[in-house]
Amino acid sequence: MNAPRAAIRVTDVSKRFGGIVVAENVNLELRSGEILGLIGPNGAGKTTLFNLICGIHTPDSGEIWLRDQPLSRVPVYRRARLGIARTWQNIRLFPTLSVIDNLLMGPRRYPGEALLAGIFGARTRRADAQAARERAEEILARMGLSDARDKTPAELPFGQQKLAGMARTLMNDGEVLLLDEPMAGVEGQVYETIRQVVRDEASAGRAVCIVEHNVSFIRDLCTRAVFMFNGCIEQSGTMEELLASDKLAELYFGGRS
Amino acid sequence: MEYVYSVLVMIGIYTIMASSFNLIIGFGGLISIAHPIFFALSAYASALVNLHWGVPIPLAILLGTLFAAAMSVMLSLPSLRISGDYLLIASMGFQLGFVEVIKNVDFAGGAGGLTGIASIYSGPSRSPAFVVTTLTIAATVVSVVHWLTHGEYGRAIRAMRDDEECFASLGRNPMAIKITIFAVGSALAGLAGALYAHYFQFLSPEQFGITQSALILTMVVVGGMGSTWGPVVGALLLTALPQAITFLNLPPSVMAPLQGMLYTGLVLLFLFVRPAGLVAKRLGQ
Amino acid sequence: MLESQILLQIAWTSVSTATYYVLFAIAFALTLKVAQLWNFAQAGIMGLAFYAMYAAMLGWNWPHPAGVAFGLAVAVAASVCIEVWGFRVLRGRRSSSLMIFIFAIVFAEFIAYLLTLVFGTEPQTLTRSIMSEVHLVGGIAISDWDLKALTTTAILCLALFAYLSFTQQGQFLYAVADNGELAELYGISANRAYLVSLVIAAVFVSFGIYLYGTRASMIPTAPLELMLFAVIATILGGIGSILGAGLAAIFLSVLQSASILVIPSQWQGSLTYFVLFVVILFFPTGLRLPAWIRRVARAG
Repeated sequence: MNAPRAAIRVTDVSKRFGGIVVAENVNLELRSGEILGLIGPNGAGKTTLFNLICGIHTPDSGEIWLRDQPLSRVPVYRRARLGIARTWQNIRLFPTLSVIDNLLMGPRRYPGEALLAGIFGARTRRADAQAARERAEEILARMGLSDARDKTPAELPFGQQKLAGMARTLMNDGEVLLLDEPMAGVEGQVYETIRQVVRDEASAGRAVCIVEHNVSFIRDLCTRAVFMFNGCIEQSGTMEELLASDKLAELYFGGRS
Repeated sequence: MEYVYSVLVMIGIYTIMASSFNLIIGFGGLISIAHPIFFALSAYASALVNLHWGVPIPLAILLGTLFAAAMSVMLSLPSLRISGDYLLIASMGFQLGFVEVIKNVDFAGGAGGLTGIASIYSGPSRSPAFVVTTLTIAATVVSVVHWLTHGEYGRAIRAMRDDEECFASLGRNPMAIKITIFAVGSALAGLAGALYAHYFQFLSPEQFGITQSALILTMVVVGGMGSTWGPVVGALLLTALPQAITFLNLPPSVMAPLQGMLYTGLVLLFLFVRPAGLVAKRLGQ
Repeated sequence: MLESQILLQIAWTSVSTATYYVLFAIAFALTLKVAQLWNFAQAGIMGLAFYAMYAAMLGWNWPHPAGVAFGLAVAVAASVCIEVWGFRVLRGRRSSSLMIFIFAIVFAEFIAYLLTLVFGTEPQTLTRSIMSEVHLVGGIAISDWDLKALTTTAILCLALFAYLSFTQQGQFLYAVADNGELAELYGISANRAYLVSLVIAAVFVSFGIYLYGTRASMIPTAPLELMLFAVIATILGGIGSILGAGLAAIFLSVLQSASILVIPSQWQGSLTYFVLFVVILFFPTGLRLPAWIRRVARAG
């Protein structure tokens, strides 16, 4: 994908809740094929930035762009249909649905969502449903979740829940992938799987942005990183550059480095 | 025998009402007390287009049903835009307000009621034919609600109930689903109303009051919210039970509030003692 | 000249009629603010309070103050019961708001049927005659009832204002309204605050229904409509603003009285519902009050 512009551009975005500033003049570009790390202490505004990009919050000022399209008047569900997919820090699988059904909620076009179209366009609907199912099976296999397909989320160990959450997000098959702490609390095989998936998705041309506390994971994977503090972007560059900065060390590691 | 037929027709009509209300409240998680008013709007619409413009009855019933759906969007669209709380409040206004309106419109018979409505069937086998028609339609409605809540659409409804924000972030539109559910449920109530109009051939605004709201809610809560068979059981029980009380020969001034207390009392009882209803809900719903 | 006299008379009468609407609206808005509860059960409390007073004053011939006290006691007791054995149980089970709505509205309906069974559907008043003595002031008729109603309402509102602003208890209510869980951490019991708000609401409702019953007649299903009026006022006044609800109630009452001049009488009954729709369509978050009123409201 040789896009002339970044997949996502955040320009001068500010957001307050009451008196609390959660984003202040944030400028950010997320390009296709790159893996951008978003680091910073708790409360720095990383998740808020995701919420602003996917439309759960609307900025007080500034604009967010998908390619050349301004997003501020686009509701959450439409942004997802335009190809902005995200995971959640606390996973948020649908508890009453099986793993496969959770995945089937994820495609940009959901067969049968529009009831009338579902009734009158039965053939396309069946084709869509078939395609979604095949894609879901494929992603489950890639994640090593094929055995868990019919279980409910509560029956899965934490690591597999994390994988299932990510699998559901991959169903979107869009341009942008926002991952909120994909590595928190996972280790071993699950860790390896997630790392591989993130790499593959980026090389497939998707723009990936990761909020993560695990610095070695960021250094290992990310092409670029951004350091946030108090709703502001303090610094951006390669992970090496960021780690060399005194400010980051002071704010993030309590001046220990 | 005529009495038994009319009870059977009522069971069919209440099964449609309870099933469609269950779609709204049990599956959609939307609370409204205006279900009887959609029944009434369609009943009047169907009766009036047939009476004044000579529209054939089956077409009149269809028009009434669509009218109920259209009116439901008028209620749900502005209020759901804000929140689910507002739907309940607006539905109270809708319910009380339209009863008031019907009372004051002369071409709908006013407070005295609308008489002379045409019947679908005539002749000696009118009533049995009606019983068969109503029960068949009721069975169809129950299957439609089941199909709607258990296929791909049902999966979306459950996901929406689980976590609306996450649901939207996956590209699904919760508003569209809520408004659709409300419209389908209200249309089915309208269907029941139109059937009622052309069977009993008489409509009066008194019949569609808050007591009916309470009765239908009771059927759903007692039977079991969010299950396919719950409302059917509820409709059967609560149509049969008041018939039993009528044999007590109480004066209407005692009878009416007693019925109301029975309905609302049962809801309160089940709410605290057996919230899942008689037919227990499926896991996790 | 005559015109302006009529208008003045309508204005005066509608403001004095607004008194009980103000009390109902404040009661509703208070429980919504503190307990985040759309307390539709309030209609049931209204009905109970009215018929308790009715039984005491006209059945057992008690003097008015004793009758009011009895109605008040019944309303407070009923409110405590529905909070402790109703809402609290449902909250404890983490029931969905759907269940809490159903409980509240069905409770109100249950009470309406119970009262119909006991007292019938005949319209009733609290006094044998609802005529009260009238004084002419500058050509405007001012009745004893008007004065009684305005005094009662003013005293109750001032008392509530003082309670919320100057007592520690009142401040606790605000703390719980802002953030119940946080308040718990500071040792303020949210349950207690909810209970207090419901009891205050019961007091307001009781006096409101007394004023209503000495002026107009009551049937068991009337409280539901009266409550809907309070709900509209609460929304129009901006959710979370008690003063806003009270002012909106006055506004709506004046609007209703003024409408007599332009709307045929048989459509008067539908006016409330029409206003409800206008409010939900165009003012779902309430009317914006002028800045100085909002400042006072925040203080109160």
